[in-house]
Amino acid sequence: MNAQESSIDVRQPLLEVEALSKSFGGIQALYDISFQVLPATIHAVIGPNGAGKTTLFNMITGIYSPDEGRILYRDKEIQGKKVHELVSRGIARTFQNVELFGSMSVIENVLVGRHVRMRCGFWGAMVRWPGVKREEAEARERAMELLRFVGLEGAAADRSLDLPFGWQRFLEIARAMAAQPSLLLLDEPASGLNAVETQQLGELLEEIRRRGVTLLLVEHDMTLTMGISDHILVLHQGKRLAEGTPREIQANEAVISAYLGKD
Amino acid sequence: MRIFLFALAVLIIGLGVSNPYHLQLLTFIGIHTLLALGLNMLMGYAGQISLGHAAFYGLGAYTTGILTTHWSCSPWLALVAVLLLTTLVAFLVALPMLKLSGFYLGMGTLGFGMIAFILFRGWTGMTGGDSGLVGIPALTVGPVSVGSGKMYYALVWAVVLLCFTICERIVNSRVGRALRAIHDSEHAAAAMGIDTARIKIWVFVLSALFAAVAGFLYAHLVSFISPNTFDFMVSIRIVTMVVIGGMASIWGAILGASLLTLLPEWLRVFSDYEMIVYGLVLMMVMIFLPQGLMRGILDLYERSRIKYRRPSTPSRG
Repeated sequence: MNAQESSIDVRQPLLEVEALSKSFGGIQALYDISFQVLPATIHAVIGPNGAGKTTLFNMITGIYSPDEGRILYRDKEIQGKKVHELVSRGIARTFQNVELFGSMSVIENVLVGRHVRMRCGFWGAMVRWPGVKREEAEARERAMELLRFVGLEGAAADRSLDLPFGWQRFLEIARAMAAQPSLLLLDEPASGLNAVETQQLGELLEEIRRRGVTLLLVEHDMTLTMGISDHILVLHQGKRLAEGTPREIQANEAVISAYLGKD
Repeated sequence: MRIFLFALAVLIIGLGVSNPYHLQLLTFIGIHTLLALGLNMLMGYAGQISLGHAAFYGLGAYTTGILTTHWSCSPWLALVAVLLLTTLVAFLVALPMLKLSGFYLGMGTLGFGMIAFILFRGWTGMTGGDSGLVGIPALTVGPVSVGSGKMYYALVWAVVLLCFTICERIVNSRVGRALRAIHDSEHAAAAMGIDTARIKIWVFVLSALFAAVAGFLYAHLVSFISPNTFDFMVSIRIVTMVVIGGMASIWGAILGASLLTLLPEWLRVFSDYEMIVYGLVLMMVMIFLPQGLMRGILDLYERSRIKYRRPSTPSRG
């Protein structure tokens, strides 16, 4: 692990989590968690149910503020910042249970994802300055490009909830990508997908990384996680159990007994 | 294009109708359409209910009424005051209120509507209390009086067209998508970077402004206002217009406002049973066209088209 870190230490971590703790009532959901995410890597957080993965996600995305500790994104503290601020700084996410805008079409969903990269407000919409039209046309073009990227260009005009579940997942990823994030958080992206779709997902995520986006994912599907991740953090009962490359994690005794072995 | 056709229809109707009673009715439909259009932005698109919209209707009417009668202020100057005051009041109300949602938001706005009603009734020195405010001057544009009849019809519907355009443009923009996103899933909308609190406040202000302009036009049309025009039942009626016409449909607002304005007139023949039939009609609409008139009519049209086409298209088996 040290060897790996030293070989890329010229690169600043995109995200640094320092001694993060959070409790709900009397329950300690996360205890003293620290880790770093380097740019353009795929970083996975795994652990049994109740390990604190979603809590960690919700703190990085600004839904909860931590009790203790710091979260640094591009060297700036972001803990306690509002969700929408973080999105405009480049942190986007998808949900464990796909949360599309059901009454809207597929392309409209992606356009909503682009919200933070557009500027038109109430006045702009009413007056329709030339800039507004240009912005809208450009946004549609970008949205179509993203739909092509995830393979949904043929369904652009369909109602998002009419899509099969697997496609809805891909649409959610396209929607998150529309915000042009530097850091994309995916909460169990493979849940509910069949084997073929999971494989397509893996390819898509690697393609996203090649575009320079850093991925942080919580995932239960071990084949996917081990296959695509550069680095894995294992949580157990709110604490850090292990950290390392997929190969190191697979060989780690503590992980095997706490997680993989019991599964 | 559709707006152009709409404007043409307004013009043709305006030229064709000469019966003053019918003109007045059409003018009222216009005023009610403004109310419904505004609430539709808030309720139909953003999914935030308001059971106190009559308060802003009244705020518009009373502000201009008080300024023009007590201080002989020019109505157009009063209009500026109406817009400013409504923006301020709506903003201050929305700030705490839109932290609520669902039933609680309904209760909160209901309370606001009642406070406004009590103010209209109780501040007798200014509003005239229950006996109302008399002698609100007619509007004039330069030397021309637009007190009633065709002129007022034209004025009101010009404002409707303007507001209609505003709504259509907002709905089909980044802001409109954000509103619909909030309606579908507020926390997913926030995760897309939408400042949900802020945009909800501004759409509330926008819808309050529409209602206040409607109040302004109402006051100068009838020249007499009293608190009962702005009570709780009126708030409910505005909500009903939006729901009957069809939520999240701009055209639905016009249909809803038209139906709820015309129905009581048509149902006069039932005399004592008027309200029963009125209620029945609304129930029937909701049972058979739960998405509202606009969606319902479109669906019927689609279905009849499919039916008509069927023989020529091969069946899919």
